[in-house]
This record gives sequence, structure tokens and C-alpha cells, in this order.
Amino acid sequence: MGALAIKNVTKSFGDTHILKGIDIEIESGQFLILVGPSGCGKSTLMNIIAGLESPTTGEVHIGGRVVNNVAPKDRDIAMVFQSYALYPTMNVRQNIAFGMETRGVPKKEQDEIIARVAKMLQMDHLLDRKPSQLSGGQRQRVAMGRALARDPILFLFDEPLSNLDAKLRVEMRTEIKQLHHRLKTTIVYVTHDQIEAMTLGDKIAVMKDGVIQQFGSPQEIYDQPANLFVASFIGSPSMNFIPCHLAEQDGQLGVSLQSEGEARFIALPQAAKLTGSVGKKVILGIRPEQFDVVGEQGLACKVHLTEPTGPDTMVLTQLNGIEVCARLHPREAKGPGDTVRLQPDVSKAVLFDAESEARLA
Amino acid sequence: MPKFWRGALYAALLVAALYYLLPLYVMVVTSLKTMDQIRAGNLLSLPTSISFEAWGKAWSSACTGVDCGGLQPFFWNSVRMVIPAVLISTTLGALNGYVLSKWRFRGSELTFALILFGVFIPFQVVLLPMAQTLGWFGIANSIAGLVTVHVIYGLASTTLFFRNYYVSIPDELIKAARLDGAGFWRIFLRIIIPMSTPIIMVVLIWQFTQIWNDFLFGVVFSAGDSKPITVGLNNLANTSTSVKEYNVDMSAALIAALPTILVYVFAGKYFVRGLTAGAVKG
Amino acid sequence: MSNPTQSAHYGFAERWLPRLVLAPSFLLTILFVYGFIAWNGYLSFTSSRLLPNFEWAGLVQYQALFESERWWVAVKNLFIFGGLFIGGAMAVGIFLAILLDQKIRGEGALRTIYLYPMALSFIVTGTAWKWMLNPGLGLEKLMHDWGFANFTFDWLVNPDTSIYTVVIAAMWQSSGFVMALFLAGLRGIDDSIIKAAQIDGASLPRIYWKIILPALRPVFFSTLMILCHIAIKSFDLVMALTGGGPGFASDVPATFMYAMAFTRGQTGLGAASATMMLMTVAAIVVPYLYSELRGNRNA
Repeated sequence: MGALAIKNVTKSFGDTHILKGIDIEIESGQFLILVGPSGCGKSTLMNIIAGLESPTTGEVHIGGRVVNNVAPKDRDIAMVFQSYALYPTMNVRQNIAFGMETRGVPKKEQDEIIARVAKMLQMDHLLDRKPSQLSGGQRQRVAMGRALARDPILFLFDEPLSNLDAKLRVEMRTEIKQLHHRLKTTIVYVTHDQIEAMTLGDKIAVMKDGVIQQFGSPQEIYDQPANLFVASFIGSPSMNFIPCHLAEQDGQLGVSLQSEGEARFIALPQAAKLTGSVGKKVILGIRPEQFDVVGEQGLACKVHLTEPTGPDTMVLTQLNGIEVCARLHPREAKGPGDTVRLQPDVSKAVLFDAESEARLA
Repeated sequence: MPKFWRGALYAALLVAALYYLLPLYVMVVTSLKTMDQIRAGNLLSLPTSISFEAWGKAWSSACTGVDCGGLQPFFWNSVRMVIPAVLISTTLGALNGYVLSKWRFRGSELTFALILFGVFIPFQVVLLPMAQTLGWFGIANSIAGLVTVHVIYGLASTTLFFRNYYVSIPDELIKAARLDGAGFWRIFLRIIIPMSTPIIMVVLIWQFTQIWNDFLFGVVFSAGDSKPITVGLNNLANTSTSVKEYNVDMSAALIAALPTILVYVFAGKYFVRGLTAGAVKG
Repeated sequence: MSNPTQSAHYGFAERWLPRLVLAPSFLLTILFVYGFIAWNGYLSFTSSRLLPNFEWAGLVQYQALFESERWWVAVKNLFIFGGLFIGGAMAVGIFLAILLDQKIRGEGALRTIYLYPMALSFIVTGTAWKWMLNPGLGLEKLMHDWGFANFTFDWLVNPDTSIYTVVIAAMWQSSGFVMALFLAGLRGIDDSIIKAAQIDGASLPRIYWKIILPALRPVFFSTLMILCHIAIKSFDLVMALTGGGPGFASDVPATFMYAMAFTRGQTGLGAASATMMLMTVAAIVVPYLYSELRGNRNA
């Protein structure tokens, strides 16, 4: 059995169901991301793993044993909190030592561990400072140091970067990833930031309304989103969703795209198995980077607005009466009012059922 | 703002300051006069020669009803009452606040609401049953009885103060400490209490002022040699002797006021914080 | 998200410790607040005189209370005192708070001066004002010395006016407190609202009247509540200043209750008047507390 297994965990307060049957299992050394919008239940799930809340039903296994009735301190876990939760009246050294002191680690060993952790995180010079004398990034580092000193089998990170400014967040993200590579520990990481989820995770669980919408590797989730929600949540700018009807032409299944009064049939090889559904209302999902500017065979689209980001330029136009964003090379992007000829890369396009919102192909 | 209005503003503020200060000024100058000077001069006139006679009399020989031993015994009664009452009610308040904010359980909110209402009851409603109960426990008319009463009816405000302060301490801190293996008492003693210095100051000062200044419980639940200073002062000022000695009255009033005035001067920040926090909850 | 109520995995001790720690205070409150309220309530339905007895006598005490001239004087005085004291302390306090809010040099010192009476016992205040307002050597003599030979000031000993001296002293003691509350409220107002109003061209008085004071509604209500509460409970000041006299001209319900229960041997009547006081406070406080607690829950 893996490092962490969550089996059919539910959590309810009276009639409010916060978690509705969660199943997750990861291997030792994996980096698991719990991602979702606020209120999706990810923090509750984290608290259940930590033992700070108990599940209504279901089991939590850590390191192969059921820990439902094990106190947080005995679960061999360490946690880094969003607010860092550093003890404000203790200096950094005392903050790190507090847990070891409670567990009765001999003083000499404590000092060794503190020295090792401080060296690893390059914070030797901060050891005698109070949390109030530290910057946001330094506090974050101390919070991680406190967790590392524990040397647990499972690290829990609860939105650890969301209180940092943008630049520092990117730096710390890289640092956490390097740390994970070096220590090979198992990590559960809660975030609402899909970029953090993509860059850090070995496995991502996308959550909404107390249900795991999809559980898989970052690339799987990006390329084959299980439903409209996952597709819209992961990726920035978001995937384009174009309503259309499934049609058949020359023995091939596909959809029709219209722009500027011109319609074009786009064959979708991946839809081949959907023959029974011809005529059905579907939603075509195309990511902004899956548009190419081509010659005459492309669909003529009028540019409404451009948003240059530097390396790429986002071009806003309309397909099937819906606003669509295409990520183009700055050289190929035209200005507002101009026409570009776009060709979607259908091999990576996905189809969703318009009603159930689940992915069809 | 035009200069004229600026001037008027400061003038108004200074007049207000005079209004608040004058009674204190009158008390001090009166206490330093002899009765002859009082009759010769008026409220505001400075003493022609400073005399501490009235202070001496107020402290050790003025009559408070039948006894004529001055305020001295009352003063020490108040000291002996106020110290344990303040310490006990503050300690209990801190514990209650800690539980009510960080260890909530089913029914703890209701308990809080029940305790909170105690802040508002007019104490007249408990006087009669309390008098009887103190008698049953054999602590009627004793300092121990007064301490008990002040502790019980001070709990509501001390609990409210601590609870509102602790609510603002992030719960994550408690979670972190629990993951670090700390339990109820260890979290309280090692993490919460070290963070509580400001609120402890506020509550100590609040309780000290309340209990020192109390008259109602003092006059109802004490007799003979257990009366607190406010009762002593009231008796002294309202004892109908042939000649009213205003200088002694004022010295006595100043003696009764001195401890709280000193606290106000040296820890006014916390006193004001207590007043405003007690008023605007949340 | 986290709800400590539902936290799990406290050991046995930690599951019960919080309840155990709270239990003494809970019991004390139940017995000594609610139990005593009931006990006092019961006493008010007995014929207790000097010694309490527990024989049910129905509403006789309330009947006696409502027929007592002294009680109605006390109630009337409470209204006079309450109305004037609350209105006066509010007006002075708000006015001073606004003045102090104008970036005043020496604000700290002024605030200290305005607020110090709040640190005094009402007995001290009463004793001091009793001396200043006494008809012989006090204010009257001062005015005579200043050349106002016909000035008389006998409010303290005049049954028609003695209650007003209580108002004067109470205002002196509590208006600084109102100032402190409102000043704290004023400081809590978002500066950008005032800047926006200034850009809109509003004058300073208009900004205060239309924008700032309405924004202080919550402060106003909690201050009002506290002052009402002080007024209804007021006992010490009346005792020290007038002793309820002359006669019982300046009695308030609190002094009435004390006199009946502890000096006149009318225990049942005292209990009935105490119950009436509790009802009055409850009528003011319960809706306030209810809205406060609800508000906190929604926040």
C-alpha cells in the first residue's frame, strides 16, 4: 500500500455535505496536489488527513496503517500552514524546537536537527529572530524548516504560497520543488492556483463541491480533462468552449465552425466512436495555443482585441457566436479590425456533452 | 481651516479640560486648607498656608459613624479584598476565554451567551439571595465573602475580554501546536499566555478599578471591620457631626481615589483600551 | 472551514478538559445569576418582611410597589436622570470627540484629562460634587465672591431639584467615556470616504453630519446601551451625593431597592423592585445582545 490512501471519505455537518466520497491513493515520494476553487472541500480534506478533523465515514491510511483514531501528533506528519502559524512569542529556534521538546527529543539532538535544517534552508542567520522580525518569505522558510525538523513520512502544505507576492511565490515554488527532489518525501499540497498545481504535482486531484472531478498526472488533466469544469479550471487563459452540433460528412464525424458568415466542417478523428450521437448538441474544447495562422484554407476571423503578453499575443475573435481566444506568435497577430485565418489543431481538441458536461472524446 | 476657527477649537478644548480638572483642583486645594481658611476663602482660592492636618485626620482619626479610626482600616480592607478577587477572576476569565474561543464544543456558545448576560444584570436582583447564601456559607460580612461576590460577578466581563481577544488569535496556531504534540494545558501555558500580556494588563486594571470602586456589594455584604474604602468614605462624608469638615472629606475622597488614579496615570493606555473594548464588542 | 467544534482525535483528557475547565464558571453563572434571579423573583411573590419567608402571597408586593408614592418618585427620577444624563453625556462626548479628531496638538494629554473621572469611584465623585454644590461654602460662595451677590444655588437641598445635581455629577464623570468611544469610532472610519466627500466639494460640517456620524451608528447604539445601563444601575452616586434625599426626593429604583431590602425590612418589596429593574434592563439588553450575537455569527 502507498504512502497515503484515502478511502471513501465523507464529511458532513448536519445536512451540509462538504466531502462526498473521496478516494485517493498515492505512492511514497509522490507530490499530490489538491486543487479547486474555495469551498470545494480541499482544506477540509487536508484537515482530515492531518487528523485535525475527523471524517464522517471512510478511512485514511498513512504509511500503510489506518490512522482514523490516531492523534495528529502521532501520525508522523508535518504541516505548513497558509498563515505559517509561527508561534509569535518564540524565536525561530524555539519555534522549530517546540515540537521536538514536546516529543522529548534530547537537547543535543534538537540542536543538531535545528542546525541541519537551518543549513538546508539557508536560514542560520535568522535563528534568534522573532517571527515579527522576518519578511514573508523568511517566515515561509521557517514554517518549512519547522516541518522538516520533524522528518515525517508525509508533508502537508496548506496553500503555503498564497500570502506571498507574485515574484516570491514563483521563487518559493521552485524551491519547494527542488526540496522535494532532494528529500524524496511524500507531499500533499493544497492550492487554488492551477499554475502551482501544474508545476509542482506528480498527481493532481481537481475538486469541486466535495467531489474529485479528476485525479491524474498534470499532463493527463491538461490534455484529457474529465469534464468542462476541469477543462476550464486548469490552463490560463482558459480553454475555449464552442457550442456546436455533432455532424457527419463524407463518412467522418466532426463539427461545423462558423465565422463571418462562412461555415467550415472540421473533422474530428477522435469522435469516430460517437456515430450514434450525430446531431447531438456538443461543446468543442480548444485551448488558445491550438490555433494556427494558415493561408487561404483557414477560417477567416475578425480580430476584436489583442492582448500582447510578450512571447505570445492573445487574439480575441468569435467562432459560432462565442468569444474565442487564440494564442498566436506576435508576428502573426494582427490588430483589432483585421482578419486572421485560423486553423484549429483538432488532434488535441476535446468534445464535451452539452448537458452532462462530461468529456465525450 | 482659517486661523480664527483653529483658535476657537483650541479654546473650546481647553475650556472642556478645565471643566474636567476643576473638581480635582477643588478637592486638592480644599484638602490642604484648614476649616478657617475654607470659611474665609472660596472653592477656588488657594490655601494661604498648606496644611496636611486634614489628610492625617482622614487617614487615622476621622469618624465614620460610631468609630473614629479614620479611613485606614477601610483602605487595608479594600487592599485585602481587591488582590485575591482580581487575581482569581482574571485567571478564571483567561481559562474561560481560552476554552470558548479555541476549544469550542457543543453547547459552548450557549454557555458563552449565558455568561455574557451576566455583564448586564442589575446586581440589585442578586443582593437578597446572595446575602442569605453568604450567611449559609458563614462568610457573610467578611472579606472572604466580598472576594467571592466580586469573583462571581466579575467572571462575565473577564471572560468576555479574554474570549474576544483570543478569537483574534488564528486557529492555525493551535493546529500547528497540536501537530507539534502539545495538549490543552501546554498550548495554553506555552503559546497563549505568552501572547496575552496586553489583555492581561487590560483585565487586571479593569477588575482592579471595578472592585476598588465598588460600593453596592461593599455596603450590602460587609459590616463592622470588613467594610471597603468606598463604604468608609461614604460613612465619613455622611456622618452628621455638628461641624462639617470639608477638608477632611476631600482628603478622604482623594485617599479613596488615589490607587485608581495612579493606575490610570501609569497604565492609562490599558484602562482606555478596556473601557472601549468592553463597550464595543466583537 | 475549520470548525473546532468538530475536531477529532482529542485524547480522552482533551475531549473533557475544556468542559471541565468551563464547568465551574458555568455552574457559578447558573446558580448565582440565573438561580438568584429566580430566587429573587420568588421572594417578590412572598410576604417577606424583615426575614424572608417562602409563603406564596401572589402579587401583593407588586401591588404595594405600584401603590407606593416613593416608588413612582424613584421611577420618575430615573426617567429625568436617565434622559438628561444620557442626552447630555452623549452630546458633550460626541462634540469633544469631533473636536479632538481635528489633528490637535496635545491630543493625548487632553484625552487623558477628559477621561480620568471614569477611573474614580462614584462615591468619590459624589463626595466631591456634594462639597462643590453645597449651598453654604460651595459654588454659591464663589459666585458671591465674584460679585454676584444674589446668586443662590440650593439644588442639592431642594426636593424639586436634587435629582439634577446627580445629573451634573454623572455627566462630569461619564462624558469623557463617551468621547473615548466615539473617538475610537471616528479613527476607525476609512479615510478615503472623507477624501472622496472632500473631492465632491462637501464642507466639513456636512461631511460629519451626512457621512461620518451616520457611519458611527453602531458606536452610537452600543454607547446608548451602556449609558442606559449605567443610568438604571446608578446607586453609588445618588447615595454619596444626596442619599436619595431630601426625604426621598432624589430616590432612584436602585436606592429604593436598597432602602426597602436592607434598611426598612421590606424584603418582599425590595425583591419586587429589583425584579422590575431586571425587566427594564432586559427589555433594553436582550434585543441588543440578540442582534450582536447574530451579527457576529453572520460575520
